[in-house]
Amino acid sequence: MSDHPQDRQVHLASVGTALPGEAVGNAELARVLGANEEWIEMFIGTRTRHFARDLKTGAVRWSLADLCAQAGERAIAAAEVDPGDIDFVVLGTATPDTLMPATVNNVVDLLGLDQVPTFQLQSGCAGAVQALSLGRTLIASGEYRTGLVIGGDVCSKHLDVDRDLAKAAPSDLVNFVLFGDGAGAAVLTDEPRGAQVVLRHVLNRFTGLGRKPGQVIEWFGLADRYDDRQALTEDYKAIEEHVPVMAVEILWELLGELDWSQDELDYILPPQLSGRMTRKITEQLDVPSATEISCVADTGNNGNALPFLQIERLLEKMTAGQKALAVAIESSKWIKAGFALERI
Amino acid sequence: MDRIAIVGLDCRFPGAPDAGAYWELLMRSGDGISSVPRQRWDAADFHSPTPAEGRANTTEGGFIDDPDAFDNEFFTVSPREAAAMDPQQRLLLQCAWRAVEDAGIAPKQLAGTSTGVYVGIMGNEWAQLHLTDYDRVSAQVGSGNGYCMTANRVSYHLDLKGPSLAVDTACSSSLVAVHLAGNALLSGECDYAIAAGVNVALTPALSIFYNQAGLSAPDGRCKPFSAQANGIGRGEGVGAVVLRRLEDALADGQQVYAVIRGTAVNQDGRSNGITAPNRWSQQEVIGAAYRRAGIEPDQVAFTEGHGTGTVLGDMMEVSALGHHHAGRTGRPMALGSVKGNFGHTEGAAGIAGLIKVALSLHHGTVPASRFAAKENERLDLRGKGLRLLKAPLRLPRGASVAGLSSFGMGGTNAHAVLESAPPAAARPAARPDERPRGIGSALFTLTAPSPQALHRNLAAQADALSARRAPVGAVGWNSHRVKSGHRHRFAVSAPDTATLVQRLHAAVADPALFAGLTGEAGGAPRTAFLFTGQGSQYPRMTAGLYEESPLYRHFLDEADAALRPHTGRSVRDLVLTGDESVHLTQWAQPALFAVGHALGRTLQELGAEPSLLLGHSVGEYAAACLAGVFPLDAAARLIAARGALMQQLPDGGGMLAVLAGPEELAERLADEPEAGIAVVNGPHATVLSGDSMALMRLDKEFERDRIRTRTLRVSHAFHSHLMEPMLDDFAEVAREVGGGVPRLPLYSTLYGRLLDGEAMDADYWVAHIRRPVLFADAFTALRDAGPSHTVEVGPSPVLSSLTRKLPPPESGTRPVVTAPVRGADSGGQDLADTVAELYRGGLDPRWENAYETRDQAPYRLSPYAFSDEHRYWTAGPARRSGAPAPTVTPDGPARPAGRSTDTGVLVLERPAPADPVTEAALSAIGQVGGYEVAELGPLLRLYEDLGFDSVMVMELKKRLEERLPALAELTVQDLLPRLASVGDLVDFLREYCAPAIDSTQERTA
Repeated sequence: MSDHPQDRQVHLASVGTALPGEAVGNAELARVLGANEEWIEMFIGTRTRHFARDLKTGAVRWSLADLCAQAGERAIAAAEVDPGDIDFVVLGTATPDTLMPATVNNVVDLLGLDQVPTFQLQSGCAGAVQALSLGRTLIASGEYRTGLVIGGDVCSKHLDVDRDLAKAAPSDLVNFVLFGDGAGAAVLTDEPRGAQVVLRHVLNRFTGLGRKPGQVIEWFGLADRYDDRQALTEDYKAIEEHVPVMAVEILWELLGELDWSQDELDYILPPQLSGRMTRKITEQLDVPSATEISCVADTGNNGNALPFLQIERLLEKMTAGQKALAVAIESSKWIKAGFALERI
Repeated sequence: MDRIAIVGLDCRFPGAPDAGAYWELLMRSGDGISSVPRQRWDAADFHSPTPAEGRANTTEGGFIDDPDAFDNEFFTVSPREAAAMDPQQRLLLQCAWRAVEDAGIAPKQLAGTSTGVYVGIMGNEWAQLHLTDYDRVSAQVGSGNGYCMTANRVSYHLDLKGPSLAVDTACSSSLVAVHLAGNALLSGECDYAIAAGVNVALTPALSIFYNQAGLSAPDGRCKPFSAQANGIGRGEGVGAVVLRRLEDALADGQQVYAVIRGTAVNQDGRSNGITAPNRWSQQEVIGAAYRRAGIEPDQVAFTEGHGTGTVLGDMMEVSALGHHHAGRTGRPMALGSVKGNFGHTEGAAGIAGLIKVALSLHHGTVPASRFAAKENERLDLRGKGLRLLKAPLRLPRGASVAGLSSFGMGGTNAHAVLESAPPAAARPAARPDERPRGIGSALFTLTAPSPQALHRNLAAQADALSARRAPVGAVGWNSHRVKSGHRHRFAVSAPDTATLVQRLHAAVADPALFAGLTGEAGGAPRTAFLFTGQGSQYPRMTAGLYEESPLYRHFLDEADAALRPHTGRSVRDLVLTGDESVHLTQWAQPALFAVGHALGRTLQELGAEPSLLLGHSVGEYAAACLAGVFPLDAAARLIAARGALMQQLPDGGGMLAVLAGPEELAERLADEPEAGIAVVNGPHATVLSGDSMALMRLDKEFERDRIRTRTLRVSHAFHSHLMEPMLDDFAEVAREVGGGVPRLPLYSTLYGRLLDGEAMDADYWVAHIRRPVLFADAFTALRDAGPSHTVEVGPSPVLSSLTRKLPPPESGTRPVVTAPVRGADSGGQDLADTVAELYRGGLDPRWENAYETRDQAPYRLSPYAFSDEHRYWTAGPARRSGAPAPTVTPDGPARPAGRSTDTGVLVLERPAPADPVTEAALSAIGQVGGYEVAELGPLLRLYEDLGFDSVMVMELKKRLEERLPALAELTVQDLLPRLASVGDLVDFLREYCAPAIDSTQERTA
C-alpha cells in the first residue's frame, strides 16, 4: 500500500554510518582468497570493502549490534536530539547476530536506551527501506515524534578465509568478493530539524508471486548443521536480467506517485549491487539530469547499510529545494523498494 | 445488462507457454523476442541491413516454442492428417480445449450445444506453402488449410453446433472475432462462445513486406509509444477465451476473469490510402465502444493500445485517444501495449490484448509497458490526457474500467471496453445445504485417453497444486467436474491438499502405485454389497464417519429415529458414547442394522447402487431393507424385537468357530444333539452353536485331533435349538411387519443361494433365526454372478477377509474388495477410498452428494497437458530462390485504370530532370509506386492519382534517404504535408537538400 505523503510530513534529520576497520582492497582480498585481482575489478567492479572479521585470522572484531549502535549514536548526535527523545527503534537486517535476542534489542541496550518499542525487519537489500517505511508510518500516525531507523549487515559471517578460491567457479567466487559489512542509521522526526530533509514517499512491495528466489541465505540449527547445503546461493543470471527492469519500474512508479517529472530530479540513488552492476543499472535508469549517488564500489555490498551510506553522500551535496530518489531491490523474493527525499 | 463474462482462457505467446507464464512475462516486463528459428526460414538468407528487394532488415521476431508439436492422438487425428494440417489449426484445438477446462467445464459437457467458435486469423502461410505444390495436394491438405477450417476444426472436435467462423480483418481479426462472439451471445444465438486468435509465421513474406514498406524494426521489436520506436516486429501466438452472458455465469457461480461491457467495430472507408491508419475512424470506434458500454472516458483507468510502434501509427492512435481523454479530470489515462513484449502477433494481436486486459483486471494490477520508460515526447501524451505505463499500476479497490484497441491494416478498427468482474457480494449467496451432503473427505480424480497421458497430467497437477495453497474440497470437486470423460481414470482420496500433493507425487514416481490407483473405465461397475453380521460391532463404531460426513450422519440419525420407538433409547447415542453394552445382543443387532442401513444408504446416495446384495445373518436385515423388502420403520421394529427377544433367552449357550468343513464335523455332531452347525463361512470354516457343555466336549476332541478352534464371545447360541423359545413371540411381530420379494438380486444366507422370487416374510425370518448361516454357499453363488467389486457394509471388514479365504472363481477374476469402514479409526477418508476404487472401476458417482455445498466452489485447475511427442512440420524451411525466376513477375501496386491513355499528356507535363534531387525524387516515387520516371508529371497527386498510402509513404521516405543522405534528419511527420503532388515534393526536397549539396560540392572542390 502506498503511504499518504500529504497526511503528515515526516523528516529525516540526520544520518550516521559505521564501516568496520580499514578498507580492504582487491589486491589484499585476492591474496587472502587466492582469487584473481583483475577478475574482481573487471567483473565485480568493486574497489574496496570493510569487514567486521579479521581477514587474516578470521576472528570477529565487531558484531552487527556494535556497528548498528555506532551508526545510531552518530545519527542521534548529528540530529542533535536527546537520546531520551527516541520514541522507537527499527532495524532492518538480513544477518542478525543471533536469532534471539533480536539484534535491535542489543543495539538499544548498547545505546543506553530503555522502555522503547523496538522492531526488527528480516530482509535483504530492501530492509533499510522497509525500516524507513515503518518509521515513517509510525511518526505519521501521530503516536510517535522521533525515531531511529537502522540498517546493517555483517556479510563476512560467510567469508571463509581458509578457503582457497583459486579454482572456484565465478558463481561461487562472486559471493566472496561482492560483499562487505557496515551499518547506517537515520533519525526521523515529525518536524524539520538537522538535515532539513523531508521523506516524501517510501515504496516497499513484494512482487515475487510464483517466482523463484534470486537469492537464498540458509540458516543452520543443531539438527541440520552438517547438511551439505551452500549457505548463500544467488541466481546471478536472473538478477542481471530482472533487477535493471525492476529498477526502471521503481523509478517511474515513484515519479508517478510524487507527480515529479524526470527533469525535476537532482539526484538518483541507484541499487548498489556491485560497482559493475550499479553502473549498468544507472545507464538503464537513464536520468542524465540527475547526479548519481553510489557507494558500493568503495564500501562493497553491505546490504542494509547501503541506503544510509548513499544518503550520507547525498546530504553532502544536496541543497535546499533539491530532490532525490532512491531505488533498491531485494532479489531474494523480488521486493521493490525506493524512497524520495527533498531538502527544504 | 448487455455484458459478457470472460470465464475461461488459455494462450501461448513467445516466451510464455501458457496463461500463467504470460502473466509472469508481463509482470516482469519480459522480452519474448529471439532469432528466427531455423525451422521457419533461414533468416540470414533473407537479411539485409540496408534496403534491398526480397530482404528483411531483421533476423529477429517473437516466435513461440514447439509450434510443430501436436497431440494428434488426443484428438484422434491420424498422423497423415495432422501433418497436412496448418499448425494454426492444431494450436487452436489444444488452446480451445484448455480454455474450456479453465472455464470450469469438461469440454465434453459442451458437446452437442450451440456453442459458437469465432477465430481471428490473417496468416495463411501453410496454405501458401502446401497448396502450391499441386502434385501433393491431397484430401488432407485440402481440409488442413483455409481460414474457415481453423474455427470449424474446433467445432468438429469439441462437437459444438453453434456458429463457427474465421474472421480476417488483418491485425484486428481476433478482437473483431470477440465482438462477433459477444453479439452472438447477446442475441441468444449461443449460450457459450469461444473467441480466439492465432498467428504462426512460416515464411519471411510479411517481414519482407514490413521492410519494403518501411515499417520493420531492425531489432524485430515493437516499441509502443516509445522514443525508440522504429517499426514493427512480427510475433506469433495463439489465445482463446470462453465467453458467456454475465448473468448466466453469475447464476452458475462460475469464476469470471473480467467483463466485456461493450465493443465496437468500424471502417476507415475511403481514407488516406487503404493501409493508412485513420485517426478519425479510430476516435469514432473508441467513442462507439464507450457509448455501447455506457461509460464516460474518464472512467477508463487504462487502455491496452494497438501500439505497433510505428511513428505514424502511434501518433494516430494517441491522437484518437486524446480526443476522448484530453479534458479528463483526475490522473491521465494509463496506456501500454503488449506488443513491446513479443511483437505484433497480427491475427492474434486482439486476443493477446484481451487476455492481458482480462488478467490485469483479474489481478488488480496492470503490467508495465516495455520501452515506455523512454517515452516519445513528440506524442505529447500528457497534453492528451494520457500517460504511459512505465511501472505496473495497482488498480484501486473496487471495479476498474479498461479499454482495448485493435486496428486492422485495411482499415477495420475495433475497440472494447472491459470491466472488473463483479465482486463476490454481487453473486447469489451459496445456499445452505437443504439436504445432507458430504462424506468427510475430498477425492481427486483425473482422466486421460491413455495411461501415458494420465501420468503426464498427474505430474502437471501435482506441480501446480504444490505451488500454492488450494482448498482441497474445491480442488476435488473441480477435478470431477472438469477432468472427466476420458477412458483412463485415476482416483485417490484427498483429506487435505498437502496429502493430495504427496500422493500425486508418489503416484507419478512409482509405477506400481500408479497402476494401483488407475483404472480403465468400460462400463459401470457391478457392485455387490456385503452386510456384516453380529460380532463385528464395537463401541464407537463409525463414530469418525459420523463426525466427518454429514451424509452418513443423516442416515444414521434416520435409522436411529426409526429404531427409537422400539428400542426405547437411542442406539446411535449408545454406539457413539462408547457404551460397552453395544455387545449385548439386545443392542448389537439394532446397532448393526443402523450402521448397515446408514452406510448402504450413504453409498446409494453417492451413486453406488448395489447390483447384488448379501447379508451375513443379522446383516441380512439391512440388505433386505435396502432391497425394498420392507420399509425402514418395519425393519427397525423387527430387528429391535429380534435383539430384545434373544436377550431374554436364558444363558448357557455358546458358539465355537472350528477350522473344519461341515462334512468333517457331521459325524462328531451326530453324538452331540445339544450342538449344531450355526454358520458355514467356508469349506474349512464352520461355527458351531448350542449348549456350552456340549461345545466344551467337542472342543476337547478338536484339541486332541489338532483342529484349531476359537470360542466366540457371544451371549447366546445363535442359530441353534436354544433359540426356539423366542421363535413364537418373534413370529408374531414378523407377521405384523410382513416382508416382500427383494427388488434387487439378494443372496440369502438362509438358503445359500439367490432368492428366486421368494418373499422375505415372517416364515423366512423365523427360519433365519433357527437355521444355519450358509455364507459360503451364498457368497459363492453371488461371486459366480460376476460382481466387479464387493463393498463391505459394516463397521469392520469381516466378510472381506472371509471371502479372501474362499477358493477363487472357476472363471473370471476375484472382485475388487472394498470396505468404507476399516476399523475404529475410520472416517471420511476410508469411505472416499471406497468411492475412489469404484470410480476407477467405472462408477460415475453423484459427486454433488459427496461434497458439502461450501466445497462445491469453483477452482481453476491447471489445464490439460498435451503431449509434445509428435511433431509435424513442412518438409523444409522457406529459402530464398537463387535468382529471380523468369516465370514469376510480381506486379507492382495496381495502376489506376485508364492511365496509359493519359501517358502522352503526362510526359508533356514532366519537369526537366535537370538536377540530382529531382532525379532522385522521381526515381524513388517511381520505384515505390511502380511507375516509369517518364510517367511522373508534377501535377500528379500522390494519394489520389498515384495510389500512395501511408505504407508507401514510409517506403518512399526510405528510398529517398538512400538517394539523398541529407534527408536522414527529416521525419515522416515533416514529409507528410509535402506530399500533395509530385511537383510539391520535388520542390520541397530541392529546397531542403540545397545546402547539403552545396557543402558537398565545396568539399569536392
